[in-house]
Amino acid sequence: MISLDAPLISNLDAWINVALIKQYHENLPNKKAKSLVLHFLERYGMEHIADKRNAALTNKERFIVMLLRAVMVRNALIVLDRPFMIIPDIQDDRFIYDSLQLISDSFKECHIFDYKWFEDRYGIMNAEKN
Amino acid sequence: MLKKTEFKVGLFVVITSVLIVASIAYLAYSKGLFTREHTFTLSSTTGEDLSEGMPVLFSGYRIGRVGKLELNDKGILLITIRVPEPHDQWIRSNSTFSLYKPLIGSSRLIVTTNDLSSPSLSPGTIREITIINDINETIKKVQPTLEKINEVVTNIERITGNLADPQGDVNRILRNTETLTANLSKKETFIEMATGNPESAKSVNESLKKVKDILVKTDEQLYGDDGTLPLIRKILKDIIVKLEKLNAALDNVVKISADASDSTKDFKLLRAEIDSTVTSIAKLVKDLDKILPSKKEPEIKLP
Amino acid sequence: MTEFIEKIGKASMNATATFRDILFFAFTILARIFQKKTYNSAMKMVLVNQIYFTSVQILPLFTVLSIILGSLLIGIVLQIIKNLGLAEYLGRILMGLVVTEISPFVTVLLVALRSSSAMNAEIAVMKVNKELRTLDTYNIDVIDYLFVPRIINGVVSVLLLSALFSILALTSGMIFSKLIFGMSFDVYTNVLLKSADIYDIDIYLIKCCIFGFFITLIPIRSGLSASDDLTSIPIAVLQGMVKVFIAIIFIEVLSLILISL
Repeated sequence: MISLDAPLISNLDAWINVALIKQYHENLPNKKAKSLVLHFLERYGMEHIADKRNAALTNKERFIVMLLRAVMVRNALIVLDRPFMIIPDIQDDRFIYDSLQLISDSFKECHIFDYKWFEDRYGIMNAEKN
Repeated sequence: MLKKTEFKVGLFVVITSVLIVASIAYLAYSKGLFTREHTFTLSSTTGEDLSEGMPVLFSGYRIGRVGKLELNDKGILLITIRVPEPHDQWIRSNSTFSLYKPLIGSSRLIVTTNDLSSPSLSPGTIREITIINDINETIKKVQPTLEKINEVVTNIERITGNLADPQGDVNRILRNTETLTANLSKKETFIEMATGNPESAKSVNESLKKVKDILVKTDEQLYGDDGTLPLIRKILKDIIVKLEKLNAALDNVVKISADASDSTKDFKLLRAEIDSTVTSIAKLVKDLDKILPSKKEPEIKLP
Repeated sequence: MTEFIEKIGKASMNATATFRDILFFAFTILARIFQKKTYNSAMKMVLVNQIYFTSVQILPLFTVLSIILGSLLIGIVLQIIKNLGLAEYLGRILMGLVVTEISPFVTVLLVALRSSSAMNAEIAVMKVNKELRTLDTYNIDVIDYLFVPRIINGVVSVLLLSALFSILALTSGMIFSKLIFGMSFDVYTNVLLKSADIYDIDIYLIKCCIFGFFITLIPIRSGLSASDDLTSIPIAVLQGMVKVFIAIIFIEVLSLILISL
């Protein structure tokens, strides 16, 4: 679930926000959890944001952290809820698509829910009505 | 960052925990919680003033405590005392155990060992304790002295009453003598006439003069500076002072018991004071007894 | 008149409801504390961080405060008992006053002022920010992940800091009494040991744990009562801190009654 209704925990570093899921559900030790998150962040070239907090992140960085958090769930099924609300500064779905591509090995399915009038941003003319 | 935090937290928790555990362990060690304890069983017919945790003393030093109190099937109280390791050496087979009940403060069990070379007391042996009741002993000590004082006071009362009573022995003798001399002085010629012997009349007169001298002397003996009555008065005054002292000492007892229930040091001092006062009163009473005639012969014999 | 009685009735009912609510919450937390599954890696990390913020960060200030306050207190006590001729009660006064009363009280006040208020605000902000809902979305139990580590931290911190206060205060008092009153270390230690009672120390440790438990539990519960509105944050903090203060007094009185029994 990647949505503005499920924000990052503001008093935790970005990497802890992601690692939290595996630490809590799989009791993954700190060290391993951190290296796992860093490994994922490296794919985006964003290792430097690991120790940043929510308020210090850019919209894109925030989206990536939220995305990574979502893929931490075992057999993840990703639901993107109005991604353009999270990253309003992008005009098309390329960034979203590329981001998903980089971690395609970590999730089974992905569903994007958005307003009908944003369908041109996704480059589809007959988008499923939401 | 996280490593640093974990290290700092770990260090804090370890150091403070070690400090707490060390403090508690030191306290427990000082209180003798880790030392091996030996138990001995004593018996007593009464459990009065005995309580669990009561100290067991040897030469005034605390060597253990009373652990458990229970009645056996014969109704005799069994007292289990617990003595930690190094102190059990003071308890030998010939040791005596006494329950000391001080006037003030809590009771204690006192161990006395005269021969330390005798074998140590086997744990299975049951020894009986003797009871030393401090307050009752003091009261017992005071009681005969007070009775004696009472006796002396009654005696003095009787003597002074006798002296003051117009019908009393002394006054009666004096009155008789007075009448006799008056009569005789009037009837000097009559004696002379009757006997026809002026010598006889002279000797009667001399006898009468002697009686007068004796009376003056008696008076001096009774009321003079070194007379009996001032002496009695002096002694009585002394007794009053001593009794006042005793009273003050007893006041102190009440005060001390209110201040600190187990102030044994003060209490010992006070007890010594009461003891010496009682002894000196007893001595004074003895002196009085010597001066005053006994109860059986209340009359003053004139020569 | 009827209105007045109604107000009293309402206030009483509210107080009872709050009390019952806190007790129920306390039992829930207690049950979780004793469950093994609560202790996962994420929760442990929160616990370490919480202890760091509550105890380690405050340590320099706390150490200085303990030494100054301890010396001052023991100096005053020594002066008073010397003037009153109550030297034989020194041990009892030091153990009874400094160790079992003042040290948990000062510690709990300090922790409450610094950490309880922060926790209260933190939970309230998380509630308003919908961060609690995020945790819920990812099937993370807020009690296990957020509350239990904070409450365990409260217990551990108050216990350790209070013991540290006692040790530092008594040690500084020992130096102080040696320098000012010429009392030897042996005499001082013996006086303290003679008056120290294992039972009193047990009560003291239990008291610290109860203090720590409630001064973190109450602000958390209060933070949770915030609505989705930002303005509800200061109200939640204010109400929480008042409840914490009442709880401190309540526990203090209870412990005094327990010690005097």
